[in-house]
Formats: sequence, structure tokens, C-alpha cells
Amino acid sequence: MIITNNDWVLKKYGDKFNIVYVDGTFKDVLITVRDKLHLGHELLTHPLGGSVKPSETPYKSILISDEKNNINFNSVYMIENAIITYHKFNKEKLKYLDEKRIEDLKLIDLTVLESALNK
Amino acid sequence: MKLELGYIHIKDIQFSDVSKVENGILYVNKEEVKALILEDQNFQKADVDLAKPGESVRIMPVKDVIEPRVKVEGPGGVFPGMINKVETVGSGKTHVLKGAAVVTTGKIVGFQEGIIDMSGPGAEYTPFSKLNNLVIVCEPVEGLKQHEHEKALRFAGYKVAAYLGELARNLTPDEVEVFETPTLTEGLKMYPDLPRVAYVEMLQSQGLLHDTYVYGVDAKQILPTMIYPTEVMDGAIVSGNCVSACDKNTTYHHLNNPVIHELYKEHGKTLNFVGVIITNENVYLADKERSSNWSAKLAEFFGVDGVIVSEEGFGNPDTDLIMNCKKIEAKGIKTVLITDEYAGRDGTSQSLADADPSANAVVSGGNANEIIELPPMEKLIGHVEVADVIAGGFDGSLHEDGSITAELQVITGATNEMGFNTLSAR
Repeated sequence: MIITNNDWVLKKYGDKFNIVYVDGTFKDVLITVRDKLHLGHELLTHPLGGSVKPSETPYKSILISDEKNNINFNSVYMIENAIITYHKFNKEKLKYLDEKRIEDLKLIDLTVLESALNK
Repeated sequence: MKLELGYIHIKDIQFSDVSKVENGILYVNKEEVKALILEDQNFQKADVDLAKPGESVRIMPVKDVIEPRVKVEGPGGVFPGMINKVETVGSGKTHVLKGAAVVTTGKIVGFQEGIIDMSGPGAEYTPFSKLNNLVIVCEPVEGLKQHEHEKALRFAGYKVAAYLGELARNLTPDEVEVFETPTLTEGLKMYPDLPRVAYVEMLQSQGLLHDTYVYGVDAKQILPTMIYPTEVMDGAIVSGNCVSACDKNTTYHHLNNPVIHELYKEHGKTLNFVGVIITNENVYLADKERSSNWSAKLAEFFGVDGVIVSEEGFGNPDTDLIMNCKKIEAKGIKTVLITDEYAGRDGTSQSLADADPSANAVVSGGNANEIIELPPMEKLIGHVEVADVIAGGFDGSLHEDGSITAELQVITGATNEMGFNTLSAR
């Protein structure tokens, strides 16, 4: 299952994967994922970027298991840490994004997700 | 495996009719370099410029920095699997234009980082301000996709660096250094009483603009493996990592990896440097588990007493770093981690996105959130318009006089996690 606020992910993979589209911020994606983890889903990709920081991109796509099981505490630990890290960054800069940069950031998020999807 | 590095010291760089090295001066035929770049039909225009130490010059946005080298003896050529055949490198002789570098700049995606100031306070934060740089500025053809643009620019850098390196082929080096790593069993016999130490090098491997290549293979597709330290000196590992200027490892960093050089210095004196384990930093959590299992397994198999682990980037690689640390420590092997910090502008926030009690020996490359002021420079090389992007949007603010207030993370190499730079924290 993909939790995302990136409409490019929805457009490209909407037919292939179970997608929860979040019409909101990076943080809203993290919170949606956290709530799913509390229901027993397992985190499959890391909730933070590999260097593109929450202060640099508003887009995030995270992969979690379709199945529910007992709560996975590693998953919960990781998402909580990601939420703490998210709060550490100043998001003021995201107000100044133009169309070109928004497209680039959606592309980066998509390709990072795909590096996990194409397994 | 034994490699001799012959350094030709470069103290100046100039344009000239003929490309050559004479009396420590690197002369470059601009048109030849441009023609070399434009062999790639993905570029419609190419320009090259010079940036020397002490000049009032700002280069931005920097993508990669590459040291010119040439193999003069032994199998293979520099950057194997990229611009030379996949021959095992790392033995024989290699000549190095020490003090010179090729810097690639590019506007691949709309958000930009990567500043090298050649003078002023900004110059203090980057090791590349001390080099005689040949800067490449290329314009892609209309409609070129980002990943193709990134690849074309990356290869332009290697090609130009190899072209310059070739000028050193028949020169007599000013200084020679020899590096040798014996086989495991030979090493064990040679230094039975010294602690055995390996280096675990983590490579950024997450997708577009976040990749590293090993003999031409995208590192996200490798299982952790061993590599002789001298292979790295011949360009077996190259950078395609364009994000996070302050803590990415450029190709220059790989070629001159300070952890490898320091371990060689102590090899046979205070420790027995066994070799390098390379591992990746993938997005998929199962990959992180598998790769850290594997690096721990290799460390155990090599029978080492300790490892040094260096990270690349920030965020989810922190999880790889901690997994490597925990699993290697669990084998009874001591670890020292090298990382950098995103500890907030005042330095009081938690530095890493992950932590563990076994990470009890950590070296910091500095706080990337620290605010710095960069005065205006007389000349800008690269894509000047992105100054506004840095200003309005991302990592700082451009003032009317051309000065920039920004977080340290915009400066190329400022908080390098191999410990290449001079910043740290206590």
C-alpha cells in the first residue's frame, strides 16, 4: 500500500497498487502512515528522504504492508522519529515553490519510491 | 594489491593553445575541452571557465568535483566501468594532477545547492577553494529528461578529468606514495599483534540524483562486498549524487578518501588495515536490513577487531548507519562512526534521525544547519539564475548586494562525512 500526497504517484500507479492519496502536507502523510502502523500495518520504506529534507520538498510517498498483523514496534519507532525530525526543519522556504520546481520535486519523490517498488 | 601514486603538483591553471603541464602549471586548450563535452549530443552548448584559490569567484550549483588522474602502469584505466573497461584497477602506477580539479555545474532540477567560493569566509568551509579548478557549464538540448541530463553531465566530468589526467602520463612525479594491502592471510602473519581494522564505507543509493556507482554498477543493486582500498584511488567508485551539497561524497572525495589514507598511515604501526567493505543506503527497509546484515557478516568473516563506518547524506541513511553499528557491535567488533549533524540552527536539536546506545564513538563533521553569511563575489560561474532559487526558495536568502545568508548545507563538502573537511563538534 502506498501512502502519498504526490499526484504523480497516484496517476502512474493508481491502477496497479493500493494507494491512499493524502490531500495534504508531508506531515499529513507521516501522520496517516503512523495511524496505519498503529492498526498493525508494517513500514516497508523509510519515511525520511535520503538527503532531500522535509524543508526542501512538500512531497512524500511511503510504502507499507497491505496486511495487518501485530503492531510492529520497529515501524512505530521509525515513524515517530521521522515525525520528530520533520518538526526540526523550517518549512518557511516551501512557500516559494514555482511550477517547475514542484514538478521536479514530484519527480524526485516518484523516482525514490520507484527504487523500492521495482524490487 | 599495490599501487604507486605519483603526484604532479599543480600551482596554477591557465587557458592556452596547447593542453599541457609545465613547471607546475596546467595549461588547457578551451576549445578541445568544449569539443570533448559536445561529443555528447545531449548538450547543445558547453562552456569552460577557471576558478583559482583567492579569486573573488562563486561557483554554483556544483554537481561533482573530480581529480584528474591517469593510469600509467598496471591493468585498466581510471573510472573503470564508466569511461574505461571493467578491468580490476588499483595496482601499478597512477599519476595525479594534485591541486587541480574538474568541477561540473548543472541545473538538473529546480532546487539547487552546491556553492564553492574561492575566497572569503565561504572558502574556509570547502576544501575545493584551495584547488585550481576547471569549471564545466553545459546547456542540455531542449526536452532532455532529468536523469539523462544527470548522466550526460556526470560523464562529461569524467571525460574532461581523464583528458587532463592524460597530460600527466609522461611526466615525472614531484612526489610518490605507495599503498599496499596484503591478502587476509598474509596480513594476519605480518602483524599478528596489531588490532585488525576494516573500513565500512556507506554509499548513497536512492534514485535519481542520489546514486553512486561501483565499476559502473548502480550501488543500490549491489550486495555489500569488499574492495581493495587502492581500487578506490583509481576511480572504482564514482559519485552521481547531486543532493545535499555539504555531506555528499564527490568523486574527488572517493579518490582521496581520508579514512583510507589515515588507515594506511597507521597500517603496520598501530593497526592492521584489512580492507574496505562497501555497502549501500537504500529506501526499502528490507534492503537496509539485508545490507547491514551483510556488512556485519563480512566484518566478522575478516576477523576484525574494529571498524570505522562512514555515512553519506542525512535522513534515512541515519538508519543504515545505526543498523551497521548495532549489528557489527553485536558481533563483538568495536565501531567508530563518522557522520554530520542536523542539530538545528542553534545546535541543540537531536543530531541524527536515529540512535542507539552502541553508537558510543561518533565523530561529527559539523552542524549543517549552522547559519553562515557569504559576501558578494565579483564573478559567478555556473548557472547564475539559480542564485534566486537559493534565495527565494531553499537554502538561504540572496540579498540585493549579492551576499547570501544560508545554512552551511549549501556549501559543497562543508560537513563531509568521511571527515575530509576540518569542521567538527564536541
